Amino acid sequence: MSQRLRHVRSALGSFIALPALLLLSGCDFNFWRMDGHQTTMIAEGPVARTQLELFWVTVWVTLFIFVAVGAVLAYATIRFRARSEADEHAEPPPQGHGNPLIELGLIGASVLALVIIAVPTVKAIWSTYDVAEADRKDALEITATGYQWWFKFEYPSEMAALDNAGAKAPLVTGNELVIPVGKPIRIHLRTVDVNHSFWVPKLAGKVDMTPNRRNLLWLKADRPGYFWGQCAEYCGDSHAVMRFRVIALAPNEYSEWLQQQQSLARQVAVRPADSAKSREKVVALRSFRTNETGVSAQFDRDPLKSWQAKQLPEKNEDTALIAQGRQLFAAKTCNACHTVRGHGAMGIQGPDLSHFGSRSTVGAGLLENNSEQLRRWLRDPESVKPGNKMAKAYRDNKIALSDEEQVALVAYLESLK
Amino acid sequence: MDASANTAHLIKEEQVPAAPKFLAHPTAKTGLMSWLTTVDHKKIGFLYGFFALIFFLVGGFEALLIRTQLMVPNNNVLTAQQYNTLFTMHGTTMIFLAVMPLSSAFFNFIMPLQIGARDVAFPRLNAFSLWTFVAGAIILNIGWFLPADKYGAPDGAWVGYPPITSKTYNPKHAIDFWIMGLQLLGVASIAASLNFIVTIINMRAPGMTMMRLPVFVWMTLVTSFLIVLSFPAITIALVQLMMDRNFSTAFFEVSGGGMPILWQHLFWVFGHPEVYILILPAMGIISEILPTFSRKPLFGYPIVVFSGACIGFLGFAVWSHHMFTTGMGTVATAAFALATMAIAVPTGVKIFNWIGTLWGGHLMMRTPMLFALGFVWMFMMGGLSGIMHSAAPADAQQHDSYFVVAHFHYVLIGGSIFALLAGLHYWFPLMFGRKVSEGWGRLSFWTIFVGFNVTFFPMHFLGLNGMPRRTFTYDPNLGWNTANYIATMGAYLLGIGMFIYFAVLAYTYFKGEKVGRDYWDGRTLEWSLQNPPPEYNFAAIPTVHARDSWWYEKQNRAEIERERAEKAKAEEAHGGIHMPFGSIWPFVASMGLLVVAIGVTCFDSNPAPGIHAKLGLTLIGGVITFVGIYFWSLEGNEGYHLHLDKDGKPVEDHGHGH
Repeated sequence: MSQRLRHVRSALGSFIALPALLLLSGCDFNFWRMDGHQTTMIAEGPVARTQLELFWVTVWVTLFIFVAVGAVLAYATIRFRARSEADEHAEPPPQGHGNPLIELGLIGASVLALVIIAVPTVKAIWSTYDVAEADRKDALEITATGYQWWFKFEYPSEMAALDNAGAKAPLVTGNELVIPVGKPIRIHLRTVDVNHSFWVPKLAGKVDMTPNRRNLLWLKADRPGYFWGQCAEYCGDSHAVMRFRVIALAPNEYSEWLQQQQSLARQVAVRPADSAKSREKVVALRSFRTNETGVSAQFDRDPLKSWQAKQLPEKNEDTALIAQGRQLFAAKTCNACHTVRGHGAMGIQGPDLSHFGSRSTVGAGLLENNSEQLRRWLRDPESVKPGNKMAKAYRDNKIALSDEEQVALVAYLESLK
Repeated sequence: MDASANTAHLIKEEQVPAAPKFLAHPTAKTGLMSWLTTVDHKKIGFLYGFFALIFFLVGGFEALLIRTQLMVPNNNVLTAQQYNTLFTMHGTTMIFLAVMPLSSAFFNFIMPLQIGARDVAFPRLNAFSLWTFVAGAIILNIGWFLPADKYGAPDGAWVGYPPITSKTYNPKHAIDFWIMGLQLLGVASIAASLNFIVTIINMRAPGMTMMRLPVFVWMTLVTSFLIVLSFPAITIALVQLMMDRNFSTAFFEVSGGGMPILWQHLFWVFGHPEVYILILPAMGIISEILPTFSRKPLFGYPIVVFSGACIGFLGFAVWSHHMFTTGMGTVATAAFALATMAIAVPTGVKIFNWIGTLWGGHLMMRTPMLFALGFVWMFMMGGLSGIMHSAAPADAQQHDSYFVVAHFHYVLIGGSIFALLAGLHYWFPLMFGRKVSEGWGRLSFWTIFVGFNVTFFPMHFLGLNGMPRRTFTYDPNLGWNTANYIATMGAYLLGIGMFIYFAVLAYTYFKGEKVGRDYWDGRTLEWSLQNPPPEYNFAAIPTVHARDSWWYEKQNRAEIERERAEKAKAEEAHGGIHMPFGSIWPFVASMGLLVVAIGVTCFDSNPAPGIHAKLGLTLIGGVITFVGIYFWSLEGNEGYHLHLDKDGKPVEDHGHGH
């Protein structure tokens, strides 16, 4: 099967690639392979697989129809073409009005072709809608909430420490959804503002997040992996940059991650020696164009491994700088919108940052999470994500961050493993 | 239209009380006033086409800006806000201001000629439809010329889903322009459609039974019914959205318990029939061109007509296939998936019959035929990817991705636009008595055909590779770069093709080769006329004896000529050819609506100065509309008579004593 698929794909590909080749040489023409990070052509779980298999059924049926009808059309066009001016004005052909038998036969054939699509369609509608009844009690329930323009993920069954007094609340993360491999995940879809849509192509097709409506999506990852997702329903200015990731981990690795997330945010003790360090070296103070790419090929080579590397604290942390950043986080009123559990920050408008340093992206899956990109975001959020609330808060409250303050905040946020 | 103008007079002057001067019937036959006061379906059709082509160019320019932004990843040509405005206006403009009025232009110009009528049933209502359409177009686009911080052009996507279009998330007046613009266009479309329905049902020439109607007329009829039945749904939705935005109701307002999903249903109950409103006229045009250029009748006429009507009916039962990802539940999803597959059958039937029409014919490969064949190929591709979408679980991946963008451009450009371009070439000799050069026509066809495919074929791959639509930027590491680059190059090529097409058309209008009557050896009644057709269309109303009536007339000349002469004599005995007077009042009524719309959209409801201007201007507009309609109704049904002299030249009747 897969051999044949590849054959057809390459045939389809060359149809477009060949004329284009004449147009511009020196470009890579592999796009027809459709093997990007966010492709729907590679299924990594049962829901996406059912959808993909159904897709191929529709491709074969419609391709067959296209070839059959196209061949007749092409033959008729060539065979009955007037060869010359004189031919055009020759005696008109017999004025036939049609043939009911041919009509009925073709209608019957079309209906038959559609039945071939209809049967697996109806089957798949039921199997992709919800987890099978029998498996439902094993499923992990997660609530995903869309905000302009980021995603909140809540684990109602996993309690996390909320403060030093021992209070607990369900675990909340932002923009990166971590799930265990092999377990069905039921995701309850909510939104606090406008319509959004939750789409991780390699795991499952999209389902909308609609206000005043309780939607559900389920998915399962077959093996560990790092998956790209994106909002798929137009939701305003920065719709294009409302992205997220799903990280699927082996069960033991998942429980390690869970344990770390359930704990309070990391405390870093100040070492006296750190206060003399040169700060400029910690963050390269380069500037970025609006919309400039925030991702690197280095990360993509093995995204899961790159993500895993983010879970551990960096070796040469500047503890004095981190302490200064922590103070600034309160002084600049970041805590009004963001939560850092155990650090006295309980805002709920923006993503929970308790373990921000362990995430691989900044700004809803948009920029790679490193000091340089994080500083870019803190310095001018509007240029990264037009219309976002943080930029508005900067303007409304006249918040300005000096270079040194940006560097300190970066150090603090990166320390939150 | 070149009637040697004397002053027209009332038929029975003595019975009408002397009217004040401003109520005198307009008599201008040339100049601006003649266009503003015309009730001639051909002039109105021409104006529809003229405005539609202007907006087609505007929408095309917006598309080129969109493609320029997406040419390379993380491009910076447009801001997010500008991009979102452009794709919103591109969609709205192309659907409501380009394709629909261009279809309307053909309905107006061609349909009465094909059924052997002298005009549509309500000529002044026809003028009102035209000018209301223009008013709606102005309101939709007025935001471009106003400050962007408070007004701006609409940016809520062409589907306008709340809450993104609610006051909370979009406080600017841009959305108000969109709402009122669409409302006015709805008024124009419904009025025009009622007019066409009445015309087709009541004003067919003797012998023109329903099953002898040209297929284009049938599709006009079905499309008109679709408009009349589907526009009320969006009218209601728009009123509700307007109430939410201006009067704090909570139909869709989430904080008040409103249901944004309701909008989606109402919108698509309109929106899906709208898709067929865009494609059925195209299918009608193709069903005229293929028989003419194959020189044989349409294969399976009754089945083509029936499948067109069938598509019209089923079109109301598939709206939720635009909503497969809204969590409708299994049963609803399955029902709409199966209904969507069912609608593919009558659509496929049309394609089979078009091929049957070609079979055994003598195909004249002229430019209209090239566009028509291009239509069949491209529509087949768009239709088949449509069948793919009907498989709801697969659609969960394709929905709102570039795969869908590719699909609907195949049916709307490869379908509707190709057919409309074919129609322009086909009827140009009839409309203007000149013919587009074959060489330039072919060049424009092939440039458009190649440009179109280079633009939109790669988008299938983009969509399947996970690129969502309505996104102003994308990252370079997702494998979308090359396909986007190629698509943009294709779009430029398509732009060049369109430029060639319209430049040649404009040149031909002024300087093209003049041609005689019935240039393509046509089959339907409009080709029996001299070109351009005279104001009164038919010197004598024809009697129809067969389906392809002009073809029949050409085979039976002696019989027809005898019949014609008798008819002309009978008509002369009744006082000559009756013509309606022109009227300025439909224009006045429409402009009143424009003022109303400006009043509603351009001012805040509070604080105080805003509300006074809003109420004041809205009332003034209402009064203007009322005055327009009032004087329009005072005009009554009078007209004047034309007599044809020995050479067939019209002479206007001065009315006294006849």
